[in-house]
Amino acid sequence: MATTHHEHHDDHGHDHAHHVIPISLLMKVFGGLIIGMALTVYAAIFGPKMPVQFMWLIAMLIAYAKAFLVVQYFMGVKYTTKLVKAFAYGGFFWATLLLIMLTDYGTRQWEPVPGWTPGEESALSRDLEIDRVPEDVQIHH
Amino acid sequence: MSSHESTHPDAPVVYEQFEDIGQQQETYVLGMWSFLVNETMFFAPLFFVYGLYTWKHHADFYLAHALLDWRIGGINTFILLMSSFAVALSVHYAQKGRTRAQLNCLWFTIACAAAFIWIKLQFEWIPKISHGVFPNPEFIQNYPHYAMEHGVPAADPYKARLYYSLYFAITGLHALHVAIGIIVFLALIYLIKKKSSLITDYIPTEMVGLYWHFVDLVWIFLYPLFYLMPRP
Repeated sequence: MATTHHEHHDDHGHDHAHHVIPISLLMKVFGGLIIGMALTVYAAIFGPKMPVQFMWLIAMLIAYAKAFLVVQYFMGVKYTTKLVKAFAYGGFFWATLLLIMLTDYGTRQWEPVPGWTPGEESALSRDLEIDRVPEDVQIHH
Repeated sequence: MSSHESTHPDAPVVYEQFEDIGQQQETYVLGMWSFLVNETMFFAPLFFVYGLYTWKHHADFYLAHALLDWRIGGINTFILLMSSFAVALSVHYAQKGRTRAQLNCLWFTIACAAAFIWIKLQFEWIPKISHGVFPNPEFIQNYPHYAMEHGVPAADPYKARLYYSLYFAITGLHALHVAIGIIVFLALIYLIKKKSSLITDYIPTEMVGLYWHFVDLVWIFLYPLFYLMPRP
């Protein structure tokens, strides 16, 4: 039979106190997210020119920092049980592990895809009118 | 299945399979996180494919991305961050039993979500779709003209088609999540106003909030990946 929280509390004398995150902390986190967004835009649009890999690294590090703030405070993972933490961080860590697959693509030649680009050897016809680049258009290479 | 009948209308029900309210609530949160991890697995391969092709065709993707306005993306990022903040506040007010403030935050979140979709449609999708710059058989013809009209050098149209296929697939899937979020928020508000027996504590608000924060998380990565691509 189902009981109410109050009834159960009376019966067994123990309770699970949920954590109420103060508004001041939520505002700080929101401020941190806005600063993170401003930093991302600054680094990409107005910042000094840096090697492209470094630019990507900065953008992704800021994105991860913002995601960490959201997960920790807005989603309240900081105040949950270890089991929930394992799920929350395990899931995002798993997604990051996908990057390992990039090593395979990065260290081997790609198989040619028939019909992917005009001019390359292809089993597919490239004579379709719709697949022809307009002649009056200058393509940047 | 246990009944939701309760002698204390405002008190959460502890079902018989749970030891106490703490264990029950942890189960809810854990279930929601299991769903969110599934969602992560849903989005992650798309991010992976996008990362892979950006690596392979960076120069062309960079030119193709010039048709996206980083300011519009920035406004949408700000809107989503505000909505996430509002949801966190609504959970705070739900925990304190301040229903009116909680509902105001939820309405504000819905307004943000609607604004996000409107901006995306009005300034990004509709102009591109009306010029045929979306995955379709005439893309190769349409894209270079559209780029020229905007004073942007055209990328290889085949690579640009790949870029915009990924763009519409990933941002479209994200926008679908935003739209589902609006429906879920409306349902939550309806149940709270109706004083439904399903809403006996802050947990339903927290569950919906977790979903919404996840939608925000996805956008946190989409914004730099699509709108702020560094020059190769």
